[in-house]
Amino acid sequence: MVPPVTRDAVLINDLYNVILIFAVIIFVLVEGLLIYSVVKFRRRSADEMPQQIHGSRPLELLWTIAPAIVIAVIFGLSVDTMSRMTARGTLSNPVAHVHAINDVAARQRVERAQPVDLVIEVIGRQWVWQYKYPGGDGVTTNEELVVPANKNIRLDMTAADVIHAWWMPQFGPMIYVNPGEMSYVWFNVPPGDYIGQCNVYCGVAHAKMISKVKALPQAEYDEWYAKQAAASSAATRPGDPEVGRDIFMNSSCIACHYIEGTKAQGRVAPRELTHFASYPTIAQLDGFENNAENLAKWLRDPQAVKPGTAMPNLNLKAQEIEDLVAYLLTLK
Amino acid sequence: MASISIPIPLRERAKSGVLGWLATVDHKKIGIMYMAMSFSFFIAAGLMALLIRLQLAAPNLQVVDPNTYNQLFTMHGSAMIFLFTIPMLVGGFGNYFVPLMIGARDVAFPRLNAFSFWITLGAGLVMLIGFVFGARSDAAWTAYVPYSTKAFSPTIGMDIWLIGIILLGIGSTLGAVNFLVTVYSMRAPGMTAWRIPMFVWAMATTAGMVLLATPVLTAALIMLVADRNFNTQFFTANRVQLWQHMFWFYSHPAVYIMILPAMGIISEIIPVFSRKPLFGLRAVVISTVIIGLLGFTTWVHHMFVSGVDPAIERFFMFTTMVIAVPTGVKMFNWLATLWGGSLNFKTPLLMCIGFLATFVIGGISGVMQGAIPIDQYVHNSYFVVAHFHYVLFGGSVFGIFAALYYWGPKITGRMFDEKLGKLHFWLMMIGFNITFFPMHFLGLQGMPRRIATYDPGRGWELGNLIATIGAFILAFSVLIFIINAIKLRHGEPAGDDPWEGNTLEWSTTSPPPEYNFLEIPTVESDRPLFDARMRTPQI
Repeated sequence: MVPPVTRDAVLINDLYNVILIFAVIIFVLVEGLLIYSVVKFRRRSADEMPQQIHGSRPLELLWTIAPAIVIAVIFGLSVDTMSRMTARGTLSNPVAHVHAINDVAARQRVERAQPVDLVIEVIGRQWVWQYKYPGGDGVTTNEELVVPANKNIRLDMTAADVIHAWWMPQFGPMIYVNPGEMSYVWFNVPPGDYIGQCNVYCGVAHAKMISKVKALPQAEYDEWYAKQAAASSAATRPGDPEVGRDIFMNSSCIACHYIEGTKAQGRVAPRELTHFASYPTIAQLDGFENNAENLAKWLRDPQAVKPGTAMPNLNLKAQEIEDLVAYLLTLK
Repeated sequence: MASISIPIPLRERAKSGVLGWLATVDHKKIGIMYMAMSFSFFIAAGLMALLIRLQLAAPNLQVVDPNTYNQLFTMHGSAMIFLFTIPMLVGGFGNYFVPLMIGARDVAFPRLNAFSFWITLGAGLVMLIGFVFGARSDAAWTAYVPYSTKAFSPTIGMDIWLIGIILLGIGSTLGAVNFLVTVYSMRAPGMTAWRIPMFVWAMATTAGMVLLATPVLTAALIMLVADRNFNTQFFTANRVQLWQHMFWFYSHPAVYIMILPAMGIISEIIPVFSRKPLFGLRAVVISTVIIGLLGFTTWVHHMFVSGVDPAIERFFMFTTMVIAVPTGVKMFNWLATLWGGSLNFKTPLLMCIGFLATFVIGGISGVMQGAIPIDQYVHNSYFVVAHFHYVLFGGSVFGIFAALYYWGPKITGRMFDEKLGKLHFWLMMIGFNITFFPMHFLGLQGMPRRIATYDPGRGWELGNLIATIGAFILAFSVLIFIINAIKLRHGEPAGDDPWEGNTLEWSTTSPPPEYNFLEIPTVESDRPLFDARMRTPQI
């Protein structure tokens, strides 16, 4: 397993290692008996007739009862692990679902369940995870979630379209994120960069629906957050195509878009972007001329420009839009 | 072996040539057609698997585009399950050998039997032709809503897939009725419950499961077709689990539908090639039936992370683990049958040993995943892919090849080439393990299933490369089998009973006449032919 970083992941890891011991013993026993029989009881002459044994009650009782005991032990260990996963410190009930998005009573139960330092709203959609921070500063991220390290974080998750699953292997358990329902995840992790990806097949770019978590020390997190809050309101400098390119190549854009000679190999969008700047219009929309102003409008909210388009609103910040526009218009 | 005379029923003289096959109601000809159809789909779905493995051989390969990849794994899974494993075991071997093994001249409803086959073939062709001409589903064989609804899968390929599976369900439900009536009412005189051959017990249990489980899947599929085309609202928002419950209520028992007949096959072969009776026959029978019943109580273990109440999950964790007990009983009974025997290492027995050696790994990893905390980690990862291939390839497919080598001489009257058979076995054993064992590690390293590609640096490169190499060894081993099957026409004549068999099919000619037995045999033990050999003085 990948190195566990949460207490739940450690518990799962420990349970796995214990059950693996039983597994290896049973494996060696069965394969050993099989190999021994194959070597020892080879037919030696054509008219050899072995003793006709039809069965043995004591032996059969033995290999009914012994596996039953092993199973009972494994079941007990699993239940014990489950109960410890739901009772440990403040991080109780690591995986929870509420079956209606507007079930107020259930949400209040979740909120009372334990003290949390930060609650982030998460939407899973084809094919990006979107994170919305509290506080009214309009801070959002796509794909990468930035959190303060060693704090209790709760994710309130739902899906915009089909079923997705949020799984960070190093955090331990995964959870389905269903449309029309709420799923909750609690975690508390040391500083570091973590990676996982959507774990329920969700369509053509499923393989590119990556989820990253960057856990920063509180001071660095605060600094990052302040910068985001500022950037989300207004651009602070003119668009830089180099920065735009980095944003493009390191985000979910590449899940759907194709630019020759780059890692953007998605084939969902109907037109490739290799020579984007030479298209007369954006999104094949008549009259929607391809210029910096329209492109910024499009990136800000594609649905508002062309309702029904497959391109989601990526909650891009003003500065990111400036940079992306600068980059995309270099693709002549 | 005593026998009694029942006149051979007057039937239209068997037609020869193509019309003879098209119009036949003979269970043996229908069985052969099932086998030929299933094996063709095995080859097709196997080639799809090779494309899948090529695509994953290294990070960010583009052997096929992601859309095609998703269609490939959808059809690979659907075809391997619905068009190969089930029709091969149930339609093929079940049809051909259940009547022969119980001393009957045909199944209870021969015309219904023909109907089952033709609807199955029709369904397979609908799916295959749709696939070839681009009307393909990409929703995986599980077709989870809402991805499979009109909003997210708008193309006709999804409807064609659904209709194909509905038709297959009708075919196998009718087949199940036929088997149950046949086994219940057409056994040879003297064949009491404990004298029924193990394969027939397994087939009867399987038929019972098909009869109870398939209608639920069929209902779910029809509801989804209605949702997609007639604006019904069965699977709309807040009801994503409804589909999962109905789907897995069939599809978990389906695993046992695919493994019990294979277990029945090796329970026939191991005693013959050990020259010993099956150890603990009654315990094996009872375990088979218990597995059949418990198989209906475990489906929620596919949903441990989809949002089910933890108390309910605990119940299903219990039932899931309990199934290991009757399975373990069978495992040890097979080992005890080998123990102290006189083992004749012909290809059929080798394939059974392949079954035992690999199936145990699938069984163990099944219990591991049954533990909810572990499942919350490995769910939908390559660990699961490894697990079910150890069960369905390590178990069912090794069982299918064991049956082909064991019964092939009865069906064709010719013996397989033993050298090629052994080569096939070893290459398959090696190729299979090289392909699927590394997938356990890939899953534990966090690789999800059903991804069209992956980025470097996650620790998945080596395991995937090894698995791809293994897949080609595996494919090569199947090629050896095909060569062996082609060479069969020049094989040694088999005679009635080349293996010193125990059961009634070996008392008639190879291939058997249309009416199977000139005189209906009577049965005095679970090994009628063994008894007969013991009574006949050796010359």
